[in-house]
Amino acid sequence: MAQVQTDVVVDLVDVRKTYQMGGVVEALAGVSLTLADGSYTAVMGPSGSGKSTLLNLIGGLDTPTEGTVSVGGRDLSTATETELAAVRGSEVGFVFQTFNLMPRLTAVENVALPLVFDGWDRAKRRERARDLLDDVGLGDRLDHRPTELSGGQRQRVAIARALAPEPEIILADEPTGNVDTETGERIMGLLAELHAAGNTIMLVTHERRIAEHADRIVHVRDGVIERIEEVADGPA
Amino acid sequence: MDPRESVTIAARSIRSHKLRSTLTVLGVVIGIASVVTFATFGASVEAEVVGSIGESGANNVYVLGQPSEEGGFGQAVQPVFTEYDVGEIAELDGVEAVIPRGTVLVNSVTHRGDTVAIQQLTATTPAAVTDEQLVEGRSFRSGANETVLNQVAARTAFEENVSVGDQITVDRSGTAWNLTVVGIVNGTAGELPIGGFGPQPSLYVPADPLYDTVVESPSINAPQRAYPQLTVIAEPAETLAVTDAVDAYLQSESDARQLAPAGVDLVARTSGDFAEQISDVIGQITRFVTGIAVIALVVGAIGIANIMLVSVTERTREIGIMKAVGARNRDVMELFLLEATLLGTGGALLGLPLGLLVSLGAAEYADVGLALAPFWSALAVLVGVLVGVVAGLYPAWRAARVDPIEALRYE
Repeated sequence: MAQVQTDVVVDLVDVRKTYQMGGVVEALAGVSLTLADGSYTAVMGPSGSGKSTLLNLIGGLDTPTEGTVSVGGRDLSTATETELAAVRGSEVGFVFQTFNLMPRLTAVENVALPLVFDGWDRAKRRERARDLLDDVGLGDRLDHRPTELSGGQRQRVAIARALAPEPEIILADEPTGNVDTETGERIMGLLAELHAAGNTIMLVTHERRIAEHADRIVHVRDGVIERIEEVADGPA
Repeated sequence: MDPRESVTIAARSIRSHKLRSTLTVLGVVIGIASVVTFATFGASVEAEVVGSIGESGANNVYVLGQPSEEGGFGQAVQPVFTEYDVGEIAELDGVEAVIPRGTVLVNSVTHRGDTVAIQQLTATTPAAVTDEQLVEGRSFRSGANETVLNQVAARTAFEENVSVGDQITVDRSGTAWNLTVVGIVNGTAGELPIGGFGPQPSLYVPADPLYDTVVESPSINAPQRAYPQLTVIAEPAETLAVTDAVDAYLQSESDARQLAPAGVDLVARTSGDFAEQISDVIGQITRFVTGIAVIALVVGAIGIANIMLVSVTERTREIGIMKAVGARNRDVMELFLLEATLLGTGGALLGLPLGLLVSLGAAEYADVGLALAPFWSALAVLVGVLVGVVAGLYPAWRAARVDPIEALRYE
């Protein structure tokens, strides 16, 4: 693994990803991208452009066919399944469009779940989860199940869960896709707060309005980066 | 991962499908309970039968006829012992008493106007009735018209209870015999230890004058009473020596030997021999039936495997979520394996008391004392846990292999 500067959190070098689906499908055709510590990046592109694949590779859900992916200084391209699990558990925090909370666990248990796999002890897990839920404004919903929460509340639980292991980067995949516009704005406000607090964020979306919350927008099309756009100053 | 958390998560998955989990556990419960029931009941019957044989005199030597060729479906061969044989055996060293037994066929027995279709009396010698077994009265005297009843006959056979001093009338092909009841016994000496469950009503009478089965004794060339059953009561320390001596006598010049049909061997057996044989047979039957019960357990295991596979499919998305937040394949496998093991253990823990309860009922019903089979019961619980583990292995492996990207897309 090459030396990575300390202020670089994610470094992709000439990453290719092909799938066997009937024929060979090239999801990413040579992508190089660097995410600096504390940066806020949006990835935009039409469906099938490869933006989800990009997110999955950075999140350790998948490994590249060619090229290297480093997250927090660890090369994921040659990592074993167990090493990838460790990356998912402690280096990255996912926020999904469909929330993906465990239906039978309470809010506080959902937030504490990554810490279970990361080997934290019980009392510390609960304390951390409670603090995070307080931070996202759900201090009074600790023992509610996901079905007892609104869409916006669920997404806030998911964000708290993503933050739990103090990850290097938060990966948000269409985080506002399943909530109404007003709730969506509040979610984006929360992400902006997290960014302001120094977290590195990567956001995947197909909505320009959402993407403009980031510092820069990476436009992806047909598996390559089309252009990188700097966003002037904050959301319009 | 934290074992306590694993148990919490697994238990919650089980609880979230109450009916399904209950039915799955029920499969194992039935399997374990059947195994425990049959093993325990078998052990109880064995203990009861062997115990009752032991009680009925360890120093009794029984003389039997056996087909000499093995494997043939020989009918129970009735030997014949003459009074000459009885006398000779009584002379052997270490013999305390020789008790012959014969059957007197009758048409009916009447007590105080109540006629009952008891069709046989047991003809024997006064020595068959010992003081220990007498509940009331005394033994009959040889040559007297007297009888001794066992408790079953005295209490249940007739409308009114029979007591010592009562008269009993026996109808024997139209000839009426009046007998005086002189004693009530609780079993008699020298009785064969295999009497089935619960004693039958029996009336004991002196061979003289009622018993009239007579053969020509080859040894003394005179007609003599001949008995189909013979029990030798040995001095306690001499049982084995007496068994050998009786065996030797029977092989040599005995009337029994000369009168026995070709192909019949006469053998002397102690109650220990019987206990062993019966114990063997009951053990075999128990193992066979328990083996059948194991099938129920296998079906229970398949139930667990089936429900776990369904569960893996249903929870594909959850598996994806867990993997996305850092669960290793090992953690996922552990969770599903734990869930299956909990189902199996639950089945075992519920099946064990249920099985014991059913055995208790069965023992009560069959009128035998409950004897526990701790080895089998422990094994049943262990097997229940193991059944969960084995049944959970494949589903858990499938769960661990779920691709997180696919799983998160799964609806």
